[in-house]
Amino acid sequence: MASIHKHGISRWIAYSPPVAWTVRQLRELLIGALRQGPIPQHVAFVMDGNRRFAREHHIETVEGHNMGFEALARILEVCYKAGVKVVTIYAFSIENFKRSKHEVDALMELAKLKLGQLAEHGALLDRYGASIRILGNRELVKPDVIEAIDRAVSITAHNKSRAILNVCFPYTSRDEITTAIKSTVEQYNTPLDSLQTPSKRTFSESHIAQQIRKQMLEEDTDASSAPQESRSTSPSSLKEAKSVEGGRSSSATTAINSSDKDESYTTAPSYPDPETITAETLNEHMLTAGAPPLDLLVRTSGVERLSDFMLWQCHENTSIVFLKCLWPEFDLWQFLPVLVEWQWQKKKLQEQQKSRALSKAE
Amino acid sequence: MASTGITKREELAFRRGVVNGKQLTVQEREAMLKPFLPPAPIETSLPLKSTKSPRLSQRTTAAPKPKPTPVRTAVHIVLHAIVSFFFSIFFRFRRSWRLFSYKVRGVLRHHHHTPEWIVNDVKNVEQLPKHISVVLDHREDDEDQGNAGLEGLVQDACEIAAWTASAGIPLLSIYERTGVLKNYVPQLHAAIQKNLESYFGTRRRPTLTVKAPHTISYSPPGTPSSEPTENGATTSRPHLTVLLLSEHDGRATLVDLTVTLAAMAQKADIDPKQIDIPLVDAELSDYVSSEPDLLVLFGPKVVLGGYPPWQLRLTEIFHLPDNKGVNYLVFRKALGMFGKAEFRVGK
Repeated sequence: MASIHKHGISRWIAYSPPVAWTVRQLRELLIGALRQGPIPQHVAFVMDGNRRFAREHHIETVEGHNMGFEALARILEVCYKAGVKVVTIYAFSIENFKRSKHEVDALMELAKLKLGQLAEHGALLDRYGASIRILGNRELVKPDVIEAIDRAVSITAHNKSRAILNVCFPYTSRDEITTAIKSTVEQYNTPLDSLQTPSKRTFSESHIAQQIRKQMLEEDTDASSAPQESRSTSPSSLKEAKSVEGGRSSSATTAINSSDKDESYTTAPSYPDPETITAETLNEHMLTAGAPPLDLLVRTSGVERLSDFMLWQCHENTSIVFLKCLWPEFDLWQFLPVLVEWQWQKKKLQEQQKSRALSKAE
Repeated sequence: MASTGITKREELAFRRGVVNGKQLTVQEREAMLKPFLPPAPIETSLPLKSTKSPRLSQRTTAAPKPKPTPVRTAVHIVLHAIVSFFFSIFFRFRRSWRLFSYKVRGVLRHHHHTPEWIVNDVKNVEQLPKHISVVLDHREDDEDQGNAGLEGLVQDACEIAAWTASAGIPLLSIYERTGVLKNYVPQLHAAIQKNLESYFGTRRRPTLTVKAPHTISYSPPGTPSSEPTENGATTSRPHLTVLLLSEHDGRATLVDLTVTLAAMAQKADIDPKQIDIPLVDAELSDYVSSEPDLLVLFGPKVVLGGYPPWQLRLTEIFHLPDNKGVNYLVFRKALGMFGKAEFRVGK
């Protein structure tokens, strides 16, 4: 907060325990009130303006990043207390490697330190039900930072549902999309029948898969149930295909998966049919796979650009908000109007849909 | 707001990990955090407490923790009602005020269908986009704006094309979710041509190409389009290219690309390792659209509604809050903002 660089009586008052206590209670109350309305399930932040903040307050750039981290801690508290399930933050872009070595090193050091501290408090994180995930291109990070990342990720990996923090580090959306395309192609490039040679059995697995498929086709003759089926099978099959690449289970599941929609699937081909790739398939290969759709994206410091962040995720129905304030100044008081407006828009949208449904019914 | 609800001691502890000049241990840090924690979930609270030292658990009981009691919930509900009530009044007033001010400014700084006025409006901006993109809405009902359905869409497209040509921007891409305009490329071409004539006159009218991705009328950049571009297309005239985009050019196209690449990989035409950002980018900018420099939204808030994701990387996104419908004010302000924008990739 800016208060660290202010002097005199206002600062003394702000830090005095009764004032601090009152403000804390007020925050709790407001967050509790917010909870009563609809809450976005997935919020993303672009933490922009740390360096400008440092310049304007005549402090070191690194110190600006530190204060940005504090702002992040405050806003995370607000989000999780309000009931946001997934928060995604843009911590470090691949493009950021272009910055001065001193700053990059300091940022890496900050990440390592904070992740290390986090790993010490596993029990507390469990209490939040918090889980950390690092999204990004690992090849670009130094091994010591990777180690800190892995420790923090593994210590919270068992917390799945309540609160997920996605840290995009080092990340760009184009890199993510390209990687998703590549891994999808690789998955579909895994031959199916080459796996049958080692297992000398009477029954062909692809034949069984076909049988199952036939039954499935007979069952869901109506078109509405078919896409649901493919959606439910694809995530599991993808994971299996990834983990046991070349394993027998992958061939069977992907065969079922691939034959969901393809009518002309007769003889066992060597590869799954690429025509069965859908937006859902790609979605499952994105780094945010499994997270609810992005509801809200907030970017501070008045820059009205996405800067290669969450392109795939936010281009559908996400509300994108650009704020003038710099990230270290960002707090509940800036976030509250955004959330309330989001709730208001959400309510309006629901009303519109209702009235539209009514008018259609008439 | 100066106070964050955190005392000096706690702030220092958070920032430096030091209290009274001493480095904090893990236990001390956790003890300091106690009052800020949410109530522990019932199932995990028991094993948690047993692992703590007795001193710590004493503290836990001493610190009053907010529990979701009925009174508290009632207070929350009431407060939520009050907050949303006042905010909704505020939002409504703000919207009315903004709409009013946009109307006034729109009248005061109208373009009068004269390219010179538009040139005058943009002559002070430092940089102009080379590729501008707009998002249009296909509306069923017109809400008294007189711009519903296909007709309204064509009308909006014509106006925007004329402004773009007047400002001297060579490429305009029009995104419309349903892609209905793509079915009427020749008609749209004629309509835009006519509107350009009304702005520039027959002699000075810029030449025009209208195209859409994945259609026959599409031609790679650099070569003239197969569209009729009027007989006397002299080189001195500026040229405007209008590109029609729809939802299909977004995720669906990326899926198409993946399908093609997967099929190629299965035939061993390419190695999956060869797939990288330049390849994807080259394919998408050749077959769909390049990255626009400026995206103008005419809606009240920033919602992209399926706009092609890959192309939006560094695009400046402009909207006027609470604005409704296509008007010149938004266009002018967008160009003004773009002129001031700094581009520092990653820096």
